[in-house]
Amino acid sequence: MECGVSVRTNIAQFLATGVLILIAQLSLADEAVVLVTSENSSFEDISSLDIRKAYLGISVTIDGQIIRPIRRGDDERLDRVFLQSVMAMSHRSYERRLLSLVLKFGTPRPAEVDERDDLMKLLFDRPNSISYMWKSDAESDPRVKTIKVLWQET
Amino acid sequence: MPINEMKTSTCETHPSLVAGLVLLAVTTFVPLAHAESQQDMLVFASLSGVDIFSVSDPALEETDKRATASFLYTYNNNRFRFVGEYIWSNTESELERLQAAWQFDEQTMLWAGRFHSVSNFWTTEYHHGQFMQTSISRPGLEEWEDESGPMPSHVTGLWLQHKYATGSESAIDFSLAAGLAPRFEGQQLMPFDVLNPEPGHELSVAGRIAYRPDVLSNSQIGVAIAHHDIAVSSESNPALADFNTITQSTFGVFGSWHWKKWVLLGNFVYFDIDLDYVDGGVKDKFLLGYVQAEYAASEDWTVFGRTEFGDGEDNSPYLQLLPAVVAHRQMLGVRWDIADAHALTMEIADTSAQGADLSHDHFKEIRLQWSAVFP
Repeated sequence: MECGVSVRTNIAQFLATGVLILIAQLSLADEAVVLVTSENSSFEDISSLDIRKAYLGISVTIDGQIIRPIRRGDDERLDRVFLQSVMAMSHRSYERRLLSLVLKFGTPRPAEVDERDDLMKLLFDRPNSISYMWKSDAESDPRVKTIKVLWQET
Repeated sequence: MPINEMKTSTCETHPSLVAGLVLLAVTTFVPLAHAESQQDMLVFASLSGVDIFSVSDPALEETDKRATASFLYTYNNNRFRFVGEYIWSNTESELERLQAAWQFDEQTMLWAGRFHSVSNFWTTEYHHGQFMQTSISRPGLEEWEDESGPMPSHVTGLWLQHKYATGSESAIDFSLAAGLAPRFEGQQLMPFDVLNPEPGHELSVAGRIAYRPDVLSNSQIGVAIAHHDIAVSSESNPALADFNTITQSTFGVFGSWHWKKWVLLGNFVYFDIDLDYVDGGVKDKFLLGYVQAEYAASEDWTVFGRTEFGDGEDNSPYLQLLPAVVAHRQMLGVRWDIADAHALTMEIADTSAQGADLSHDHFKEIRLQWSAVFP
């Protein structure tokens, strides 16, 4: 009798562990980074090349409006994923490129926020600002408009 | 980190009172006129030491240490842009750049003020940002005026900059600049000083065209042409006693190529110089050039080397007026990026300087440097 209970307990633990692993994998598979702007922005799309240009301080205009990039200093992992998957650069290489443009031409570096509230304020205060978010965060905030998926966990 | 969304701002860290007041005025009053602006403040710092040994003339044996801080301030507001660069070291203190621009559109910008000559490739890539250049030393061809550089580095005037997109990723950059050329005083060129303006500077004109196959990378190849009328301060050096003017025309081909872990950069400049003496003129033609290769062995370690050479420069009467100018150098070095914004670098070099006569000075150099950028 005790032996039967033990076996059932082990099976239950095994199944529970399996379910947890499955949930974790589904969660990871669903993890994505998206490009966002405020719901008031007029543009609906931007090419990957223009995103890279904007984040390297090169002026990008869509429908006569200058695109204003915002970096996420408040989420180190998100920033790293963005730099690796979109900019194809390490953090160090990216920072040096920005420094080089400041040094050579006084080119302004992208704005950087250290708190989520600052991000939302900048997105709404400055028309046609863009930034990046976890997809789950973007979906839960009706004030932001998702432009495109930048990276998806595979 | 940029200082964003500034409504008002101040700047008071420059060591020179006058330069500080100029920058303070710009950074305080310009933002008040416009609601939205962005400014940036960077400090490029370095500590370096050089030991010169195995010299052909024992009098040249030397050990030197230098502490340098270069303060860079930039301000942007819609179409207006301002750049100020001030350098302080234990050997000099000087306002290097003071320039403002109006951006007509995304491609065209007109600068006014004191800027680095558009025809000098290395100078316009790294300016005084010691941390940004991989090597410690600069090529002799592109040394600053007060380090016996043969070409004018600082011009005060106007600079028109235009970018022409040749595709979604490639572009051609055009630059045309005109302004006041340096004077020749003592054993160096002396640029116009905007904080202590003095007459006697002649015209400098320069143009540059660069093709960039990928605007997202630093790779480029181009040509530069310049013409400088250089007034001579005859009383400043007995060797200049019989001079009227020096007319320097240059034609250069430059390039930098970034490919995977490799960087290759170089500049070749042909000089055509008229030395106008009281009793006649002398033509002086020669070529100076350099090639530097860099290999990133890892994200933290970079090995590099540079060769500097010339043709016809050994007997140049113009270069004899600049006895410390380096025309030949074979250099190897290694750089260790110990953090994102700090690096340690070591260089060894076999070098020849022009010298005061045709004998030239031969020596070896070992250099050590810590460099960083703040914040």
